[in-house]
Amino acid sequence: MLSEKALELIKELDRSKDGKLPAFNEDIIRKVLEEMNTLFQQNQRDVGEAAAGEIRYFPSIHLRHAALDRNKRCLLAYLYNRLERIRAMRWEFGSILPADIRANLCEPETQWFNRYNKNLASYMRSLGEAGGLDLTQDTKPPKNLYVEVRCLRDYGEWEVEEGDTVVLQKDTTHYLPLAACHHLIRQGVLEQVE
Amino acid sequence: MLVSDLRKEFYDVIKGKRILVLVHSDIDGICASKILQSLFRADHILYTVVPVKTRSDLVSAFEQHREQARYFLLLNCGGCLDLVDVLSPPEDVKIFVADNHRPLDVCNIYNGDQVRILSQLGEDEEVPAFEDVFREEESEDEDEDSDEEDGKRRRFDEETLERRRARRQWHQQRHKIIFDYTQFSYYGSSTAMLMFDLAWKLSKDNNELLWWAIVGVTEGQVFERTEQDRCVLATGTLQGHVSRLNHQTQDSQPLDCLRITFEKELKLALYRHWSLVESMRHSLYASTTLKLWTLRGEKRLQELLAEMGLPLVQCRQLYSGMDVNLRQDLRSLLEEKSEKYGLPDLLFPSFSASRGFRIKVGSADYVYSAAALLEPPQKDITPTAAALDVADCLAVGREEVLERGIEGSKQQLSAIYRQVQTFLDMNQVISAGPFLYATVIQGTPDAWFFSAPHCLTLLARFTLRAHVSVSRGRKSGALPLVLTSPDVRAAQPDTCLVCGIPPTSEDSRRNFFGKAFEQAAEKTASRAELEFFDTNIIRLSVDDRSKFFDALISLLS
Repeated sequence: MLSEKALELIKELDRSKDGKLPAFNEDIIRKVLEEMNTLFQQNQRDVGEAAAGEIRYFPSIHLRHAALDRNKRCLLAYLYNRLERIRAMRWEFGSILPADIRANLCEPETQWFNRYNKNLASYMRSLGEAGGLDLTQDTKPPKNLYVEVRCLRDYGEWEVEEGDTVVLQKDTTHYLPLAACHHLIRQGVLEQVE
Repeated sequence: MLVSDLRKEFYDVIKGKRILVLVHSDIDGICASKILQSLFRADHILYTVVPVKTRSDLVSAFEQHREQARYFLLLNCGGCLDLVDVLSPPEDVKIFVADNHRPLDVCNIYNGDQVRILSQLGEDEEVPAFEDVFREEESEDEDEDSDEEDGKRRRFDEETLERRRARRQWHQQRHKIIFDYTQFSYYGSSTAMLMFDLAWKLSKDNNELLWWAIVGVTEGQVFERTEQDRCVLATGTLQGHVSRLNHQTQDSQPLDCLRITFEKELKLALYRHWSLVESMRHSLYASTTLKLWTLRGEKRLQELLAEMGLPLVQCRQLYSGMDVNLRQDLRSLLEEKSEKYGLPDLLFPSFSASRGFRIKVGSADYVYSAAALLEPPQKDITPTAAALDVADCLAVGREEVLERGIEGSKQQLSAIYRQVQTFLDMNQVISAGPFLYATVIQGTPDAWFFSAPHCLTLLARFTLRAHVSVSRGRKSGALPLVLTSPDVRAAQPDTCLVCGIPPTSEDSRRNFFGKAFEQAAEKTASRAELEFFDTNIIRLSVDDRSKFFDALISLLS
């Protein structure tokens, strides 16, 4: 069937949930491009005939043209959505992507990601007075300045911004400023309690 | 120093400061800490909560965190220790204590400023007067100095002799007073309740906090710690709070909020989550009264069920699968028949919580579940992690943890039931004269369950009640029970846990074993660790067991 492969591409992307990125499917893309090439050549031939006055070629030309269009749209959608996801990941994971996701990018995507990184970084540096502003922190306004956290492993003494020290010991519960313990939560030392 | 106004002298003091909360791993303590945590969150008071299980845990936790905070709060631990002596806190550290263990150490009560006791003393608790226990230290020093001089000069004038005699008398008197005061260990009113009162005075009370207070109070009730009359009083107060906070009609509230109801509840363990027959068999009260482990008892049970008109099929399946009509009538049916079968106390006033369309859960169910979580059968869960599990189980919306606890509790109760049956079948409850005595044999498959304080106490109570109900002599009712079990949870091998409980015939739940164990261990120089905050449980080296018991017998007879 026409455009079947292109649809498969879209479906594959759709099936993988948010926050994941399937491997760049070069194989199918090549097949779709081949299909488009054949369609185009067939059309080219038939258009010649049709121009000579053969009306009966018109429907098949239209069909192939529609299929070409559809393939093109699907390919663009695939590429665009992948970029969208990569961009979302930049905000989620920071400038360095996890290895498993990086392995799923194709070369141009990696280049795009690096350029996006650079752009974003230089923009963030230009904000605020000194040293810029990290836009990726607190993308939503926090409900509370403090957060209740549980310590998952022994970490030892740790200094909160105001100069207090806290001993982070396994299975203790703490109530701490959110901004200070943000990165410890990401490191997996602390766990937020609802 | 006793604090009377919690709001002014405790809460306002710590506002805006960092506080370190050390919580004993019991349900009441954890409930209290949950109430406090929600208060602290509301006022942005930074806190750290550390669960502690034993005395040495308390000391090491204090050592580790002493640099962090100037204010410490001990929940359900430490009240019975001389805190200044044990912890030796720096000058500027203030220690607040809210402990339901009694008697409180006199040094804590009469400490000037550093140790402040938040727990309210009941009317029946008599603390020795200050002048009976303490005397000006200086004068004693002077005396000693003059003693030395006397020794040099060899002068025995009448005045010095008189003074010395007075001092000796005073010391004897002091010893007697202190002994009388510390002879019995018992439990005061619930700490969770105290903290809820604080929340109420701060106008920050809500249903969730109230529920924690209820669970805390129910723990004392279910494990028969708090005195009966105090339970009734607390239940009354709680009922007032329940009706105050739940007066809104059901339509005006969102469906999935916590709703608390006050009602008469069956004294059957976990019957809402088990089958009726199983639940009766495993609950202490019904099982020991009907003697369900005997053939006759089994017949009596069948008779009771037949008289109530409950088909056996229905009773043997899960309660939630029972016929709706039967479920509705169950309580009234049992109440009618309870007198005839000698179960007058089968119903007791209690509370239950429901949320949305989920199954109703009684406060006693929460207690059983939390107690099982506290002493998990899995070997890889540390005590501190278990305490966090309990905290999770009490949180609203964490039903899966609660259910895990309920399953664990069923296992625990079944193990207890099996063990009691073994004790009775093998006649392993022996009278040692002044007390009854039983031992869980080394290598029992269920020993893992019994190497934890709560479960061991439950087993002891079950055993004693069961033994008294089958023994012919009247005397056994007046005897306390001492139960030992191999401590397979401990790191060092060859230790056992020893647990003593008061006799069944006594209404009062005061327990004299704490002091007795201490003295017996001292006399025989046994390798005993008086580590637990519940003093009626100690850890003892197996080799010293026989001499320890000989000393205990001679002490008590």
